[in-house]
Amino acid sequence: MDIQYQGESLFPGQLGQFFIILSFGTALLSCISYFFATKYKEDTSWHKIARISFFVNVISVVGIGSCLFYIIYSHLFEYHYAWSHSSRTLPVYYIISSFWEGQEGSFWLWMFWQAILAIAVVARGKSWESPAMTSIMLCQTILASMLIGIEVLGERVGSSPFILLRQALEAPVFSNPNYLSMITDGNGLNPLLQNYWMVIHPPTLFLGFASMIVPFAYALAGLWQRRYQEWIQAALPWALFAVMILGAGIIMGSFWAYEALNFGGFWAWDPVENASIIPWFTLIAAVHVMIAFKNSGHSYFTATFLVLISFVLVIYASFLTRSGVLGETSVHSFTDLGMYWQLVAFNLLFFGLMVYFLVSRWKELPITKKDEETYSREFWLFIGALILVVACVQIIATTSIPVFNAMFGTKIAPPVDAIAHYNKWQAAFATLVLILSAIGQFLKYKKTTPKIFYANLLISLIVSVVLTVVLVYITDVYTNFMYILLSFAAVFSLIANARILGDALKGKWKLAGSSIAHIGFALLIVGALVAAATNKVVSLNSGGAIPIAGFEEREKPGENLFLYIDEPITMDGYTITYVGDSITTPNIYYKVNYERKDEKTGKVVERFQLQPNAQQNPKMGLIGTPSTRHYLTKDIYTIVTSAPKLDDPEEHGHDHEGHDPNEEYEEPSTQLVNIGDTLRYKNGFIVVKGVDRNATLQNMPLASGDLLFALQLEVHAVTGEVFEADPKYLIKNGNGFDFAKNIDEQGLRLRFTKIVPDQGMELMVYQKPLPERKWIVMKAIEFPYINFFWCGTIIMTIGFLMSIFRRNKELKGKIA
Amino acid sequence: MKKGSILGIVIIAIAIAMIISIYTDSSTYATFTDAQKTESEIHVVGELNKTKQLYYNPTENANYFAFYMLDHDGTECKVVFNGSKPQDFERSEQIVLTGKMVGGEFHASKILMKCPSKYNKDQVEVTESIASTI
Repeated sequence: MDIQYQGESLFPGQLGQFFIILSFGTALLSCISYFFATKYKEDTSWHKIARISFFVNVISVVGIGSCLFYIIYSHLFEYHYAWSHSSRTLPVYYIISSFWEGQEGSFWLWMFWQAILAIAVVARGKSWESPAMTSIMLCQTILASMLIGIEVLGERVGSSPFILLRQALEAPVFSNPNYLSMITDGNGLNPLLQNYWMVIHPPTLFLGFASMIVPFAYALAGLWQRRYQEWIQAALPWALFAVMILGAGIIMGSFWAYEALNFGGFWAWDPVENASIIPWFTLIAAVHVMIAFKNSGHSYFTATFLVLISFVLVIYASFLTRSGVLGETSVHSFTDLGMYWQLVAFNLLFFGLMVYFLVSRWKELPITKKDEETYSREFWLFIGALILVVACVQIIATTSIPVFNAMFGTKIAPPVDAIAHYNKWQAAFATLVLILSAIGQFLKYKKTTPKIFYANLLISLIVSVVLTVVLVYITDVYTNFMYILLSFAAVFSLIANARILGDALKGKWKLAGSSIAHIGFALLIVGALVAAATNKVVSLNSGGAIPIAGFEEREKPGENLFLYIDEPITMDGYTITYVGDSITTPNIYYKVNYERKDEKTGKVVERFQLQPNAQQNPKMGLIGTPSTRHYLTKDIYTIVTSAPKLDDPEEHGHDHEGHDPNEEYEEPSTQLVNIGDTLRYKNGFIVVKGVDRNATLQNMPLASGDLLFALQLEVHAVTGEVFEADPKYLIKNGNGFDFAKNIDEQGLRLRFTKIVPDQGMELMVYQKPLPERKWIVMKAIEFPYINFFWCGTIIMTIGFLMSIFRRNKELKGKIA
Repeated sequence: MKKGSILGIVIIAIAIAMIISIYTDSSTYATFTDAQKTESEIHVVGELNKTKQLYYNPTENANYFAFYMLDHDGTECKVVFNGSKPQDFERSEQIVLTGKMVGGEFHASKILMKCPSKYNKDQVEVTESIASTI
């Protein structure tokens, strides 16, 4: 029998599901219509159908997003997505992040950007619209299929964000028609994602991923329509756009890792990070050879191949992160949602398309038989692209170890020290790429006179050598040959490109974009190198630690520092004190004061407070978020790695009937006292002032014959505060009763329980256990010169932007 | 010789070097028994023995964390980590350790854990709210 569930709002989910089906259908229709519109150009009706269904697709994609947002925003926990990714306490701006915490939401984000980009292609594509939109809508169809979540021939296709909680899970609660009233809150958003970078990093990254389909679509269209040369010029601004956005998105992720994660760094060569940087590398290489081809006619195949493979690698990246294949090698990939083979098929389809068109058009491709001149820019652009590709192959090969394991049933584990493994190779590749980015700027297309070339080069070279010496000395990286070499390459690239920029300021604006992007890249590398090579844990804990056999051999004293509240500790020139905490639910901010004193005068020269915070998540334990002090030349990063468990407020405040009022106290001390006596207690002393024989009780009139005594006590706390208390003792009908007095500020409970004639009065002193002293365990890391890294990123993005404008202008000039 | 062929040879050489490098840098997933036999650092995959106590007492030493882990063969071993207790450790479903055996203890230099827990494991918690509906 069907259960009539109460309180569910099914409409938003049904509407959303309808939009999913609609978006799938319209994308497919649009794809097919665009295909025929390309084939039968004279028949405009295909084109019309394609456009109409595309616009309906855009509307339905927006519709999916609106329904999902409404569900999360209104806390409709009958929906699995809202229940598992959000909670009532979540601030509104993080509701946006919970949107893409799940796979479904991030697929939607991809679809959404693809739809927006497709609008631009439709609006400006002209003769490219139909062939390019065929591939874009094909991709849109596949993305929509990832959200469908229906069973076809026993296989579940996609995973719908609109699935109900009771459909997603099996639990006995769901036999109750009123189950919804028992589910008061959702699971909440992972505390690590509750960071403002997480609001903008995923959309930027996905815009980058999504925009890579446009150059792919143009390249495929170029091959399909045999417009071999034309597509490159049309796709170039798009490729630059994709590179710029994806680059910015990746670095934003790195910002997030640095500001919110606790691994203490900005790049860890995690498979998920690698997956996003691989297509960026190939598309960067592609952009360079596209420009080379445009100017010289060389490297056609390389350019086409790289543009096509870049998007295939985007799909490969989503396979890596979404299929669960990375399993035990990555901390932050998604787990499989049952779409493993669907993702494999997505990959194979686009890879197959690429191979098919490259092979079938192979003989017609405008590939030059001539060798490039050695002293020509196109040759070295080609070499640079090749190096990037080789660098990429290295990253793919190591990252894909789990994929090989899955394919061949092997059990190879990734390198033990992954960061060292990648750095070893990538530092060498970065050096070569940087040197080429300098040399390339001095070369002309077709042919350069060696004499002029060397003369130009020599001056930059000498300046760079001098500057490198200064740089490695200041930043302390001279201990390692590879570091010096890489620093030199970066400085050389910086100087050479700065010269080009100088020329640009004199009026040759053409190369300004590229030189600025190169300068940004060189700065980024310098920042990454110095920060990664010389960052040091400053919270070293060599004293007081119990030696652990085996660890000392590696000279690795503990990196975590233990701090009691208000107990200063010196650390790397700073005196640090944990002074307390403040709570802004759900975060606890631990206040740590830093003070630096002048060694001679003892005067405080610098004082600041860092407030690393942590969430004591009942489900995940303590999740720390670092707090960082930024200087121009370095950052001091502080994170709380452990802290005492907060008292659960639920455990206290039980004021039930029948509770023993003494239960919260420790065992009492009982003694006979007389007037004038002094007693000690944990936090001070108590003085017996006297006995009041005429005391009265508030709510109880005394009968005749009742005797009531009040013991007048003065409680002196160590803090200097004085409290008065008068516990009372009543004799009624020969029985004794006592009325206790509490001094809550001191955690005291005083009972006057007996009068022993001639000996004194019996006083029972109850004390609450002293609150445990607060403590934290923290770790502090110094990152020198990390500002170069951030700075370089911004400059590089500006450079890309300028290049986009330039290429776009060229395009317009040609078409108009 | 043409420049193209020189380039080809160089790239093949680099590719071979890379494959060798990946091969030598990569390690294997082993058991504690395997770890006993080798001096080098290896990966051990297993599960936390939840019946035994985790040891982390920061007031004593903030950089000593010890626990017992069962590898895939079911062999139990004490694991010592020179650092603070990783967040959410108790809830881990699977642990990948990097490190080596020192005597009878496994000294981990890196701990990676899989906690599908709340973000994937679907367990409806209704314990607290049931009382209020009666």
